Amino acid sequence: MDEMQEIMEDFLVEAFEMIEQLDQDLVELESNPDDLELLNKIFRVAHTIKGSGSFLNLDVLTRLTHHMEDILNKARKGELKITPDIMDVILESVDMMKALLENIRDNGTDVTDDIDIEPVVVKLDAISQGKNLSEVSEANNDSSNSQKEETVEVAAEDELTEEDYANMSPEEIEAEIERLIQKRAEEDRARREAKKKQQSENKNESNDAKEEPKKESKPETPAPVESKPKTAPKQEAKKSVPAKKVSTVEQTIRVDVNRLDNLMNLIGELVLSKNRLIKIYNDVEERYEGEHFLDELNQVVSSISIVTTDLQIAVMKTRMLQIGKVFNKFPRVIRDLSRELGKKVNLIIKGEDTELDKSIIEEIGDPLMHMIRNSVDHGIEPPEERVKVGKPEVGTVELKAYNEGNQIVIEIADDGKGMDPEVLKQKALEKGIISEKEADMMSDKEAFMLIFKAGFSTAAKVTNVSGRGVGMDVVKTNVEKLNGIIEVDSTPGKGSVFKIKIPLTLAIIQALLVSAQEELFAVPLANVIETVRITLEDISTVEGKSVLKLRDEVLPLVNMSDIFKIEKILGINQYLYVVVLGVGASKVGLIVDGLIGQEEIVIKSLGEYLKGIKGIAGATIRGDGKVTLIVDVAALMKLAKDTHSKTVVTASVKTKKKKEKPEDYVILVVDDSNTDRKIMKKSIEPLGFTIKEATNGEEALNILKNDSNIDAALVDIEMPKMDGYTLAQEIRKYNRFKNLPLIAVTSRTTKSDRVRGVEVGMNEYITKPYTPEYLANVLKRNLKLS
Amino acid sequence: MSNQLENVIKQQQEQTDNLSNTEQKDENVVQLVGFIVGNEEFAVPILSIQEIIKPIEWTKVPFTDDYVLGVFNLRGNVLPLIDLRKKFNAPQSEFDDDVRFIVIKVGEELAGFVIDRLTEALRINGNTILPPPDTSMERDAIIEGIARKDDRIITILKINLLLKTDNE
Repeated sequence: MDEMQEIMEDFLVEAFEMIEQLDQDLVELESNPDDLELLNKIFRVAHTIKGSGSFLNLDVLTRLTHHMEDILNKARKGELKITPDIMDVILESVDMMKALLENIRDNGTDVTDDIDIEPVVVKLDAISQGKNLSEVSEANNDSSNSQKEETVEVAAEDELTEEDYANMSPEEIEAEIERLIQKRAEEDRARREAKKKQQSENKNESNDAKEEPKKESKPETPAPVESKPKTAPKQEAKKSVPAKKVSTVEQTIRVDVNRLDNLMNLIGELVLSKNRLIKIYNDVEERYEGEHFLDELNQVVSSISIVTTDLQIAVMKTRMLQIGKVFNKFPRVIRDLSRELGKKVNLIIKGEDTELDKSIIEEIGDPLMHMIRNSVDHGIEPPEERVKVGKPEVGTVELKAYNEGNQIVIEIADDGKGMDPEVLKQKALEKGIISEKEADMMSDKEAFMLIFKAGFSTAAKVTNVSGRGVGMDVVKTNVEKLNGIIEVDSTPGKGSVFKIKIPLTLAIIQALLVSAQEELFAVPLANVIETVRITLEDISTVEGKSVLKLRDEVLPLVNMSDIFKIEKILGINQYLYVVVLGVGASKVGLIVDGLIGQEEIVIKSLGEYLKGIKGIAGATIRGDGKVTLIVDVAALMKLAKDTHSKTVVTASVKTKKKKEKPEDYVILVVDDSNTDRKIMKKSIEPLGFTIKEATNGEEALNILKNDSNIDAALVDIEMPKMDGYTLAQEIRKYNRFKNLPLIAVTSRTTKSDRVRGVEVGMNEYITKPYTPEYLANVLKRNLKLS
Repeated sequence: MSNQLENVIKQQQEQTDNLSNTEQKDENVVQLVGFIVGNEEFAVPILSIQEIIKPIEWTKVPFTDDYVLGVFNLRGNVLPLIDLRKKFNAPQSEFDDDVRFIVIKVGEELAGFVIDRLTEALRINGNTILPPPDTSMERDAIIEGIARKDDRIITILKINLLLKTDNE
């Protein structure tokens, strides 16, 4: 029974693949009813499904496909012309076939109360005018399964040889026949065994006896094969299709998606290790500059990083599917729609071989479908109207996919009536989606984006196709889920263009690392439109909200620290960094405290417990082993909107108390020698400074981390646990200590020591012994005290 | 070296023998790991513990309860880090040398928990474990039972509730 199960699964996979193609072919057939090759192709699909179906005892499916096959066969022979009406019935039966197959997939049987094939069968019969031929084969069908199967296979083989004949030399044909006979013999054996097993289970002995001899006789006598070419080919028909391109078929392998996912995870780990290696190399490079082994290390690191990147791309490619898989559905959709709406629409598909990650392909179908429906329903005018304005009667919808950098762009363009931004604004105003003021400030592009707002629909009359007020906002949500962006352009009277831009893959992404106070965040680069440096004066306030005028746009400005409620410890600088984010239709300017750089990151989940945190999509592990959170830009924009209405950027920065005299300052003195600390204290304490002490670098660092009131530090170099150089390096890693005055006070006097001191970030370098006045002056100078 | 090894193995053998003897007497022995949070001693089943590590750096996560310190990297896995001292409203002390992260498998998920210090691995007769005090205190829901050892009172925690948020 397991074998049967396996066969059944193979059958379903194959059947669904064929049906996908079938829809497109049928629509094409309607415009080219005489295309014999196309007809043959379609005929074979119906055939294969019928054949396999009967073998698997799927009687309902077999009966349906059988009737379809009849019509197609007649069309193929030129006895019947395919009219749109006939096509409707055929398409209906294809739909039913799909439903049956789905039922088989879900329930393992094609017998269901939900699907009644009889009305369709009657229609199909009516079309083929109840000719004798169909009844005869029907009778055959019922009388003996096994016999039918054989004849079918035989015939198909014949068909195959006929087809290939033209392109082959006599020797090749010989070989091919030989091969096929052998294949057939093997397959028959397997099939017989399966059948036998089944039958013995059924204890149906009489049947068994009837079948055995027939089957056995067949492989040995290929000759009679040629004598019955008229019988409907079945089981073998499907083989005749792939057999034509044997070489290509053998080069593909079906792989379980889980295995690919697993592979992708492993690559992810590798990318992390690679990042780490690069980081370590950079550290080592600084320390051992000029050493010979660095060259070698450099070579290894760069070769590993190149190979890792290539490997990652290669594995990514294994997950890629052609977008044609999605596009194939649309000719049928357009056809049905245009008949339903009485419009004439021509669909042009371009770039269907563009590849996208499997997970994205699965998600993109529905939004695209909706947008296409929308284009036909709202975009394309009825034929009379088109003629009136001097356009061709048949409207055009162009569906196009292409690569653009790290993204893929899917474009849906129609030559319909287009959209008028003023009308859209008016509509949005009426529905209370925007305020009068917003409408005034809105650019045309922003106005087009209104159609993606929930509750917005421009269709004057509600059809069952679109215009129910749901839809476009769902499209936007779906696209955003894929980290995509939607752009709209439209000219009234000329048509509209929708562009969906989505990243190629979801697992490993390019990200911009930014800091908010001391914390790092990774922002998917796909959503970063640009980064700009602005001054405080560039920020304007409109209705109590901070905005940035950037070229011809007005961006809402939000501080990242406000969004994530991070305590503000940094003072405000003259310059601010703004990351302009775009998701779907909207844009926001995000103020960050630092731009760290661009990096390739691997998305890791935060796990069950922390999942669903607003604004966070996951985490990644960086080269230094630390975890960095990845921003969920779509959610962040929503949060930004809430924050935006509450907080004014400029006002939200805590202003520190102004310090004017030494009494306002706290100085940290770091030295392992008690005497040295005392000397330092004595030099500056009389001036009024508050003094804190630490005996080594580690202690000093802890004090600094926990006490934000330290204004400067005097640091010895030679200390246990952590020396002064390391301390300075560690301190400078923190954004808030970037400007903290650090003064080295040491007995090391060589030039290289001084240089090192500057390198690690010391502001001044004082050598012992020193006069108290000198130390005090240096300190005052660094605190800008006069 | 090999002698030492043999000795160790022998000792372990004896120990397990001894243990199995006691276990035969009473099969209901639970093995726990005890630790201190604040002023109290707690324990969790030894098998639920994946590992115990010294504190490492972690990353803060916004919009979480204050006892969720953030996430940390355990050999390539991103795990949540929960400060049991904050969760149990225990007095806050610095991260001194005794502080450890206990990595526990809670359901299907791993998580790190900050504790003040470890005490010891405990073997306790299950029959001597008392049920949790009969109060409706929210905090007590997390208590599996109370064990006594010598003059110590050890609170055994319910693993599967460790990751429950307060508002659930």
